[in-house]
This record gives sequence, C-alpha cells and structure tokens, in this order.
Amino acid sequence: MTTTQSSEAAPKALAPPAVSTAVLVQNAVIKYGFIFVTVALFLYFALSEGSFRESATMLDTLRYVSVAAILGLGVTVTMAVGGMDMSVGAVAGLGVTVAAKTMVTYNQVGTVAILAVIAAGALAGLLNALLIVVMKIPDMLATLGTMFVIQGTKLILVDGQSISAGMTESDGSTAPGKFTAGFLRIDRGTMLGIPISVLIFGALTVIAWVFLARTRWGRVLYAIGANPEASRLAGIRVGAYRALAYVLSGVLASIGGLILASRIGQGDVSAGTSQLLEAVAVALVGTSVLGRGRPNVWGTALGAVLIGIITTGLTIKGLPYYTQDVVEGAVLILALVFSFTLSKRRTA
Amino acid sequence: MSRTRVPLAALSLASVSALLLAGCSQSTDASKSSDDTAASASAATGKKPAPFSKGTVKVALVRQSGAGDYFEQWGNGAKAQAKALGIDLTVYDAQADNAKQATDLSSAINSGAQAIIVDHGFPSTIQPEIDQAVKKGIKVVVYDVDQTNKSVISTEQDDASMAKAVLDVMAKTVGKNAKVGYVNVAGYAALDKRNSVWKTAVDANGWKQQFKVGKVTDSTATDNVPLVSAALTQHSDVAGVFAPYDELAKGTVLAVQNKKLQSKVKVFGADVSNADIQNMTAAGSPWVATAGTDPSAVGAAVVRTAALELAGQLNKTTVDFPAVAITQDFLRKNKIENMDQLRAALPALNLSKVSTADWIPNVAH
Repeated sequence: MTTTQSSEAAPKALAPPAVSTAVLVQNAVIKYGFIFVTVALFLYFALSEGSFRESATMLDTLRYVSVAAILGLGVTVTMAVGGMDMSVGAVAGLGVTVAAKTMVTYNQVGTVAILAVIAAGALAGLLNALLIVVMKIPDMLATLGTMFVIQGTKLILVDGQSISAGMTESDGSTAPGKFTAGFLRIDRGTMLGIPISVLIFGALTVIAWVFLARTRWGRVLYAIGANPEASRLAGIRVGAYRALAYVLSGVLASIGGLILASRIGQGDVSAGTSQLLEAVAVALVGTSVLGRGRPNVWGTALGAVLIGIITTGLTIKGLPYYTQDVVEGAVLILALVFSFTLSKRRTA
Repeated sequence: MSRTRVPLAALSLASVSALLLAGCSQSTDASKSSDDTAASASAATGKKPAPFSKGTVKVALVRQSGAGDYFEQWGNGAKAQAKALGIDLTVYDAQADNAKQATDLSSAINSGAQAIIVDHGFPSTIQPEIDQAVKKGIKVVVYDVDQTNKSVISTEQDDASMAKAVLDVMAKTVGKNAKVGYVNVAGYAALDKRNSVWKTAVDANGWKQQFKVGKVTDSTATDNVPLVSAALTQHSDVAGVFAPYDELAKGTVLAVQNKKLQSKVKVFGADVSNADIQNMTAAGSPWVATAGTDPSAVGAAVVRTAALELAGQLNKTTVDFPAVAITQDFLRKNKIENMDQLRAALPALNLSKVSTADWIPNVAH
C-alpha cells in the first residue's frame, strides 16, 4: 500500500458530484441500497437453498425476529426523541418472569398475566422517564442503570430460579398453576396459517408507523429529537413527550416479553438479555432505509427481517453462529455507512 | 454531528453491556488446552444400510448451548462422528437463549433433516416442537431432555452410575458412621438422580449428614463458597463433603481451602473437565474423587444412536452412558493434566461399546 495509490483512488470517490448522473446514482444508492442488499440476500438464499424457499421457513424467520423487531420499535420511538433505551431486553425478560409468576405461582388466567406484564413494562418505562426527564440523567446511562436494576429485581422476585409448572416454591409448597393454553397460543398458535406472534409484529409495526409518521404526536416526537430547544420554545411540553416515548418503549418491550414467555413456556430467568443488541441493531439498521438517516418504523421492521434472513440463511448454509455475528455486524456497519457517511456527503 | 454520535455511542454501550452480561453467565473454563478430538476413526467393515447406502443423510443438531469446556467437546465429538458416517450435520446453537432454541427446532423441522438431535433444553419450551417433528416422521434423539413423547429416543449420561462411582470411593475414604456434608440443589433432573443415590449411600454407610446447602446461579462455583464456608464454620468436623456437580464441587473446594480444612475435609465431586482435572491435581486440593463421562465420546455416541435409529437398528428407546470414577491419586500418579491424557489412561471413557454396529466407524480413540 503506497500513498500514491490511495491518493489516486480517493479523489474519485471524494470528488464533488459534478455530473448529474453521478448524483442520481449516489442518491439511488443511499435511498435503495439497503433494500437492494435485503432483496439480493433473500434471492441468494432462496435460489441456493431449497429449504429456505419453504413458506414454513419464512414464517419461522419472521417468528424468530418478531421479538427483536418489537423491541426495536420501542428503541425507534426513543431514538425519535433523540434518546435511546438500553433497558428493552431487561424489560422483556421481566415480562417473562411476571407472566410466569402470575400464572404459575398465583394461578391466574392468561389475560391477567398479559395485563400484569404490560403494566410492568409501563412501570419500567415510567422509571426510565423519571430518571431521564426529571432527574436529567443522560438517556443511555439511565437506561443502562435500569437495565441492571430490572434484571436484578426480576431475580429477586423468583429467588434466582426459573419458574416452571409444578415447581417447589421457597416455602416448600408446590406451585399451583401453569402457563395456560391460551397464553401459549401467543407464540405457538396461528391464525390463517400465520403465527400469532408474527401478526402482532405486523400490527404493531403499522400502529407505530401511523403513530410516528401520521399523527401530530409522532411529528412532535421527531421535532424534539431534531431540536429539543426549538421545540420547547415552540411551546411543546418536551418533558411529557419524552416521558411518553420511554413508556411506549417499555410497553412495546413488555409485549416482546409476552411473546418470549409464550415461546419458552416457563419463567426462564435468562430470557431477554440476548434481545437487547439485536433490538438496537435493527433500529440502527432501520435508519438507513430509504435514505432517511433517521429512526423510522418501516426501516426498523425491514432491518429485523434482514437480520432474520441472514440468521436463517447462514444457518441453513451450515455456518456457525459466530460467523453469523460477523455478517450481521458487517451489514449493520454497511447500513450505518448508507445512513451517515454517504448521506452526509450528499448534503455536504 | 450529534446525530451520528448518539447511535454509535449507543452501539458501543450496547456491546459493552452485552459483554458484561456474557461475562456474568460464562462458565467457560479459562484453561483451554489443545483438546480437540483427534478423530482417528476405526474403520467400518460392514455394508451401510439405508438411508446411509443412498448418499448423504441430513441430520440437525439443535443445542441449548454449545459454550463451555464440556459442551464444546461434546459438539466436537458429535461433528467428528457425523463426518465419519457421511452425515450432513447442521448445528443450531441457541447460545443459552431458550426462545431461540424453540425457533431453531422449528427451522430444523422445516430444513428437511431426516433426524434431529436435541441437546438439552427446557421440556416446556421444546416439547411441542418435538411432537411436531415426530408427527412429520422425523427421527428425534434427545440428550438430557426430560420429554414425554414415546417415539423419541432418550439418551443421557447415567447419573446414578456417576454418583455411585464417587460414593463408592467416598465410602472407602471416610469409612462407616462418619460425619459428612452435602452440597446439592433440588429441581434439576440430573442432580435429583444423584441425590437419590446419595440418600441410599448415607443409609448404607450409617453416615451422619451434618449440613445440606447449595444453590445454582450464573456463577455457581463462587456463589456457593459463602454457603459452604458458613456450614463448615459450624461443622468443621465432617470427614467428607459430597458435591455432585463440578461447579458445586469447585465452590466447596474453595470454601474448604478458605477455612484451611483441606487436610481434614475431603471433597467428592462429579463431572470432569480440563479445569476440574487441574483443580483436583493442584497442590493441597481437597477434591479427592469425581466421576464422569467423556463429553466428546458422549457427543459421538449420541450421533451413532441417531444413525442406528435412522437405519432401524436401535430397537430401544433409551441409551445411557455410564460414568467412570476418577480419583486424585490416579490423576497424580499418571501425571494427567487434561482430558486427552485422561482418555488415553482410562479407555472406559470412550464408550466404544455403546450404540455401535459393524457399518459405523467409531471416532473414539
């Protein structure tokens, strides 16, 4: 590598887009590059692996990513206000424990468990809002703190043990309840041949999109993210809206927890921890979709689908999980290049 | 500018916290010597039956976790045996994420695999998928899963034989009517089985159990040190402590050393790994006996079991892998420092007589 070589190559890429076709190409790359990568990977796996083409495999892929996607939607909402929620994985895990505790230890029906889980998620969101909005702790640090607190609290609730039907409680009695059949349908049941968890993922994506992109509240959230000071001067109650974003994120994370609980079928204490990174990754990948360079719901959903395609495709190809991590990471970096490096160059 | 900073910082924080979390839950042994299974397959002599005679056979291995000394070696043994049999083995590793194991199993079912091996897992998570696989005509072999489908082949390490092997040594070491301690946890199938053997041994030898403590956490070994230390403060006169799981045994060893009781209190553990061997042979270690199976031999034997079932030659629904007693004296006398050397010194660990046929090349040493 000599410096002459790189200095010869560099001006080409760095040269200001003098020719209009170059601008068009660059804009197209920024706008559709990410979608192109997704479609190309999909076609590659579909053409090279017969079992990838099966509709059952595709539905499984969507089912697999549904939790990370829903958590990612929550992260997207907090990113819209210029924040970040690092506690989504822990809140989902708390949801699994609360669901198990409600049904197995307290012998309640599935509906009660669902309400309890969502209430727990909202409460966790309120705690984040309190720390960030009232106590002025930077969002990432505050939610990192709550992440640990929630993980610990969850373990205290259950003495560090996974809750399963028929288990021996700490007082020596046998747990009276079990996961109800209705509750287990959340992830294991289907409607019109589609897993219910996938339908929930789809419905929440549409709802979140309408909320963020089509309502006044959504626009206000983005406005706060772009410039909180200007929003405050414009008379927006910035604190209340930021609090709302964290509560929504908590609720979405708890819905992800409901799906996890239904998938695992017992109060697995380690559930949810692995979801944090994927949720943040899909929300970040999403920023590059359609060259928006900002958090958006369809981008997050598509980012989740892409992660699913990669994971499923590479597993069928027989690559071990650690190579999948490398590929996922590379795709994330590529998306960030689309999102930040290239779009910056365009506006520069 | 600030827009760029936030997500990147978020990502780095996210990865740091993930590392922290991973760090907490790791039970991987620090000492990882070169113990890859050297697959010196003994040649098969017989003619391959269907479906092996018709080309490559697709098998999926769906694991709850492949991390840690034990599970890595288990996986290496399984892969080596699959390769020797001409099996196209797809490995799904959920990395201890139980929700992922459920979707992994579901993908394995749709992948066109002719047999699925399930290595560990919560019954309540994977039972529906196992039933689904059986319904689709896929042969299912589980390792250490307490499942209920009668068409599924259950394989497991023989926990009763493991406990018995160690307790026989303990009976010889501490003698009759001795005062003893016990470190164990209820609620885990394997530990419950070892527990029932313990109760029999206590009665048979007239031992007086002075204490029972123990818990299983993300870092079982260190979290048991205070419990066992407290018990030993009260009952420093026990001759031996039975801790039938290597993480519990490691914690017990540390507690005994903390209380400086290693010359009086002996530890009897279970399981064996590179780290366990080093722990037992270290100067002044009170851990005098354990029993175990060779994880790579077990992984290989599970694959052979699946192969026999695919060929219709298994003719049973449970396969147990017997454990072998390993004493501190034996390890020290033979200068054994790792699993490879142990395998060479103790051929019984190779399971070369379990699930075999003349058409199956055996990857055991």
